[in-house]
Amino acid sequence: MLGFLSARQTGLEDPLRLRRAESTRRVLGLELNKDRDVERIHGGGINTLDIEPVEGRYMLSGGSDGVIVLYDLENSSRQSYYTCKAVCSIGRDHPDVHRYSVETVQWYPHDTGMFTSSSFDKTLKVWDTNTLQTADVFNFEETVYSHHMSPVSTKHCLVAVGTRGPKVQLCDLKSGSCSHILQVVFAGHRQEILAVSWSPRYDYILATASADSRVKLWDVRRASGCLITLDQHNGKKSQAVESANTAHNGKVNGLCFTSDGLHLLTVGTDNRMRLWNSSNGENTLVNYGKVCNNSKKGLKFTVSCGCSSEFVFVPYGSTIAVYTVYSGEQITMLKGHYKTVDCCVFQSNFQELYSGSRDCNILAWVPSLYEPVPDDDETTTKSQLNPAFEDAWSSSDEEG
Amino acid sequence: MQKWFSAFDDAIIQRQWRANPSRGGGGVSFTKEVDTNVATGAPPRRQRVPGRACPWREPIRGRRGARPGGGDAGGTPGETVRHCSAPEDPIFRFSSLHSYPFPGTIKSRDMSWKRHHLIPETFGVKRRRKRGPVESDPLRGEPGSARAAVSELMQLFPRGLFEDALPPIVLRSQVYSLVPDRTVADRQLKELQEQGEIRIVQLGFDLDAHGIIFTEDYRTRVLKACDGRPYAGAVQKFLASVLPACGDLSFQQDQMTQTFGFRDSEITHLVNAGVLTVRDAGSWWLAVPGAGRFIKYFVKGRQAVLGMVRKAKYRELLLSELLGRRAPVVVRLGLTYHVHDLIGAQLVDCISTTSGTLLRLPET
Repeated sequence: MLGFLSARQTGLEDPLRLRRAESTRRVLGLELNKDRDVERIHGGGINTLDIEPVEGRYMLSGGSDGVIVLYDLENSSRQSYYTCKAVCSIGRDHPDVHRYSVETVQWYPHDTGMFTSSSFDKTLKVWDTNTLQTADVFNFEETVYSHHMSPVSTKHCLVAVGTRGPKVQLCDLKSGSCSHILQVVFAGHRQEILAVSWSPRYDYILATASADSRVKLWDVRRASGCLITLDQHNGKKSQAVESANTAHNGKVNGLCFTSDGLHLLTVGTDNRMRLWNSSNGENTLVNYGKVCNNSKKGLKFTVSCGCSSEFVFVPYGSTIAVYTVYSGEQITMLKGHYKTVDCCVFQSNFQELYSGSRDCNILAWVPSLYEPVPDDDETTTKSQLNPAFEDAWSSSDEEG
Repeated sequence: MQKWFSAFDDAIIQRQWRANPSRGGGGVSFTKEVDTNVATGAPPRRQRVPGRACPWREPIRGRRGARPGGGDAGGTPGETVRHCSAPEDPIFRFSSLHSYPFPGTIKSRDMSWKRHHLIPETFGVKRRRKRGPVESDPLRGEPGSARAAVSELMQLFPRGLFEDALPPIVLRSQVYSLVPDRTVADRQLKELQEQGEIRIVQLGFDLDAHGIIFTEDYRTRVLKACDGRPYAGAVQKFLASVLPACGDLSFQQDQMTQTFGFRDSEITHLVNAGVLTVRDAGSWWLAVPGAGRFIKYFVKGRQAVLGMVRKAKYRELLLSELLGRRAPVVVRLGLTYHVHDLIGAQLVDCISTTSGTLLRLPET
């Protein structure tokens, strides 16, 4: 580490190298820390977490009781022991609260003034953060499993919604009022859509994962059909048998693009995780081993950002498994939850991981730091009192 | 961490280690040789740390021949971290399957050392240069390691059981139990497939289970099986034209009719011969004729061996004990064959203990 610092100082190495090396070292040291806590508000399991991309300070959580809570993650107290407090919440007494379980929440990608939430009550609600009122509601015919808004797009404000029906729907926030849903229906999947994700690299590329074992990449400007259906065997591409291509041997539960958008990770109920090249849909055949997955709905996993070899954090039963993305090696299993873990998010500024599970807890995994060097004895015994309050008599017994 | 134990030589190893504690540490850092002295868990591990730190400890290359049943080290122990007390990671070549059965997936209870293993990769440019030419990429075994694994596993296949009518079939999960890094194993198998040395076949009972067969074996057996039958012509044409050209697991309709010029009747012949199995409308899996019996024995045997672990107290069994037990009648393919498959498919967890490898059923 000192070598890196001096190399950076003298200009021998790029400053980014030090940053990446230190981030990797911190991620490798993730563990539960008794000094960090997240306040427990939810009464039911936590289905989804999202950290805002602007500052990385506020986190939203959605629970199976329909409650949405907003936490402040920043430690502004001077002490090391810190509980992330809930700033506000949309509880059961709120007039616009979701009736059933909230499946996905997401901050508006460009600022924290707005967030969206979708739920099993067949609605997608757009909330104003400051007033905590719904700005807009989109209603659907089927329960909503997942929604996602493009994190990089400046040209459109489309939210992709995956429902129990086989069609992916796009809602336009710019034009949408409660009566008008821009519906661009993409046929192609045959069963419910369990996960949707926009590419963090291109504005118009969308990936969808469905219970019919298929993952499709779409360009939303093109109405005629999907671009690629991912095939796990990397067979020869021919249009006639696109229907036989499956990405997994079971339902595909979760999707995550790597932070540069060049690769796509998918998990399925066949207990496998696969890494795909997102530009040509090729299976890179990286083998992560058995990644246990019994979830009937979507599984939300996440990828680290800013490390020299990226890591993927996947909920694995009641633990979180950490793998390196490109080599498939399992680094560790983070044990701490009592019940099944449903979601996790990575805070890339401080290399912290937050995970929510069915035991109604959100746990914060913090890089383990070095033990603080104990102070010398003289400084601790020095009195903190203002000299005006110090007593003037001597404490010697011999006098007087 | 993966410690390669000999399930059968544990007692001998312990005696040797105690007699020569100084042999414990140094060898692994400097040579590729397996250090069987450190077979058993925690106490030897701690002893080794100071040993490893002494640079004057001479490499124990010379002992390679003398070690009973000694295997050579494949790959390297890697540049695994020495500044912390992480145990090293000897990966050895499995020249003798008998002595070092399952190097693939043994993991220790404490995985935290693994995080530190990546740290020097980011920070430790200095350390790598010191090791110099002794070291190669720790994750890659010898270049032929998947090939060697396949050959070894082929020895385990009971040819006599099928009267030599079936080519020896090995499963992909068994290769994982011998080659520690799955991605590397997959890539090597893919290379072998592309070179045309092996064929990968979808075994029907599980979409994930792939059988590996040497192409030569496959060809001879198929020709023998279809000798004198009405579909012999179609099969020979298939073996001559399609097999060398297309290395995939499955074939599509238009590929068969247009590229290779098969008529529908010929495709029906192929399905009757057992060379193709229907996958979907217009696509077929490559198959082995007569593999039905093998699959039946395999599925039953796998359940039986899993049942042996399940019935044990606490649902865990020492590997040495499992291999020493008498196989139930249902297990026709051999206990070792099935155990390789169970370990590689992660149907049991492999845990290293002071008494050897422990197989435990996962909780989920």
